[in-house]
Amino acid sequence: MNTLDAHTWLTDHGDYLFRVARRQLHSDELAEDAVQETLLAALSAQTRYTGDASPRTWLTGILKHKIVDLIRRKVREVEIPRDAEGEEAIDSLFQRDGHWTEPPRPWGNPQTEAELGQLRRVLDECADRLKPVMAQVFSLREVAGMETEEICKELGITPTNCWVLLHRARVFMRQCLELNGFSKAGAA
Amino acid sequence: MKWMPTCKDATELASRALDERLPLSSRMALRLHLAICDNCARFNLQLQEMRRLFRLETAADDDAPGLAPEARQRIASELQKKLGS
Repeated sequence: MNTLDAHTWLTDHGDYLFRVARRQLHSDELAEDAVQETLLAALSAQTRYTGDASPRTWLTGILKHKIVDLIRRKVREVEIPRDAEGEEAIDSLFQRDGHWTEPPRPWGNPQTEAELGQLRRVLDECADRLKPVMAQVFSLREVAGMETEEICKELGITPTNCWVLLHRARVFMRQCLELNGFSKAGAA
Repeated sequence: MKWMPTCKDATELASRALDERLPLSSRMALRLHLAICDNCARFNLQLQEMRRLFRLETAADDDAPGLAPEARQRIASELQKKLGS
């Protein structure tokens, strides 16, 4: 059947699946693996494809599982950062008494396609600069929208570790966006 | 926690509130702090804005680079192998 031809999937949806995977895995190589595993799994499961959903939706569903698999494997290889690490970055934002040293600046309000495109690039670049485990946890939460509890379970880390990682990732991302022109004084 | 969290504490609470429902005492403490601290209120809004942007922008099929030709070729040959088997 033509609509279920694996090569057609690759042609029609390969780029889309790659972008989705790339955003969450922060690596070209892993994103390629995710796309390949997705299409191979789809090929094995194609008799179960009912045609209720569009092929893209169906493939994206499979891709999400593959992404979590890959992240789980990757997190096992990487040491979860010790508590001291990343703590310093946050400490430097505050004085000893807990007040801001460098308060957040107001953000611009990107409206035009060009401004949004620029913002998208900055978001991607900043996310790529997160430390590996932090990037994975952040992606699962903020990009994939998984519940924190689910993420902890999937990755085998404690809830406390999980939300410490998330907090550090958010602080880093916020600052990175600001430093890259997403504040009112800047271009965006 | 003291009756009034510091800015550092408040930012942690604001972040955590995005992930789970805070206990009542923490929720009140955070609300109180945000009501009087412009910096933390801004931080809090920016975290929420960031989440919105991520969910919105990353769902879009945009102009980010797609599969490189070599990658596409590798995947195609893996599919071919499987189809042939």
